[in-house]
Amino acid sequence: MTSASDAELIAQSLPDPEAFGGLFDRHAPALLGYLVRRVGRATAEGLLGEVFRIAFEARDRFDPSRRSALPWLYGIASNLLLKHHRTEGRRLRATARLAHEPAPETGLEERASARSILLQVAVAIEDLPGEERSVLLLHAWEGLPYPAIAEALEIPVGTVRSRLHRARGRLRERIERVGKEETESAACPTGDAHDR
Amino acid sequence: MTDELEWVRRLRRDAGMPEGFLERERSKLMAHVTGTVQSPPPGTPQIVPQLPYENVPAAVDFLERAFGFREREEARIEHAGGVHTEMVLGAGVIMLGGPGGHGTFPPKGGGNPSLHLTVYVDDVEAHFVRARDAGATIVSEPEDRFWGDRCYEAIDLEGHRWRFHQHTGRRFAFDGE
Repeated sequence: MTSASDAELIAQSLPDPEAFGGLFDRHAPALLGYLVRRVGRATAEGLLGEVFRIAFEARDRFDPSRRSALPWLYGIASNLLLKHHRTEGRRLRATARLAHEPAPETGLEERASARSILLQVAVAIEDLPGEERSVLLLHAWEGLPYPAIAEALEIPVGTVRSRLHRARGRLRERIERVGKEETESAACPTGDAHDR
Repeated sequence: MTDELEWVRRLRRDAGMPEGFLERERSKLMAHVTGTVQSPPPGTPQIVPQLPYENVPAAVDFLERAFGFREREEARIEHAGGVHTEMVLGAGVIMLGGPGGHGTFPPKGGGNPSLHLTVYVDDVEAHFVRARDAGATIVSEPEDRFWGDRCYEAIDLEGHRWRFHQHTGRRFAFDGE
């Protein structure tokens, strides 16, 4: 693998398109992971190539002062993912249903409640505005630092913080609602907390 | 009390891609950026069998569940004559189309069974169980063959006949049968 920086590779690819292959080698696995996590294998498969084709066509607009092209590529991917909102929602809900059981010593009620919280969180993520969803998942799943998220989505760092704050608030609200409903149904003698 | 980000992290789920996927994507990208046209296009082998089905979407569902194929969703074309699509298993590709296309019909609809597909899989025993449980008609259970493969045969929902192989390297004398 070449030791050239991403910016150098991109500059080199302007007259010599094949140099762009170096960028693919470096970042395709991370991008593919991100796409798969958000929309699953079948959709991610088609999107990976699209991310790199778009990046290639836009490579003359890449800011050469940036050290890594990864945030830029994450941004292109996040943008494309907005069109796959339904697939993303389906995957989130499926993951909530498939989620690993907590430790076996955990009580039945606790397990049922963990599952219903997960499902609510899945639905809440699905319901977030697209730009908040991207900030949240780049942060929580991809572990990108705020400045990288800002670079990816071409927004100020302050906006990253406020979007994340808003998204977390919406999730918390949803989680608290589950807790409240469960307490209520537990208090009601005819209610069945596990059947909802 | 679990923090809301902890719940989000618990919804993170990965999935592996088929072997060779990144290499194929890379060569597609290189073909695109250098403007070279490859034939066959990257990701498509030189020989591709096309199978006719009366109900292509049902066949796609069955071939996924029973045999572990995956549809290339971007290849799906829906037209007045029906659905045409492609499915992959490892580096192998099949095309699926409606009955009568290119003069072929599924055996179920009175076509001649003139094709028998040989498919190599990693674990033929597990594959057999999956196919049987998904409702494939089993013609013969996994058995060692003299040329060093272990194979079983199955018939799919519209009568196409498949033999799944795992190469074991255990050769023995051909007994003439």
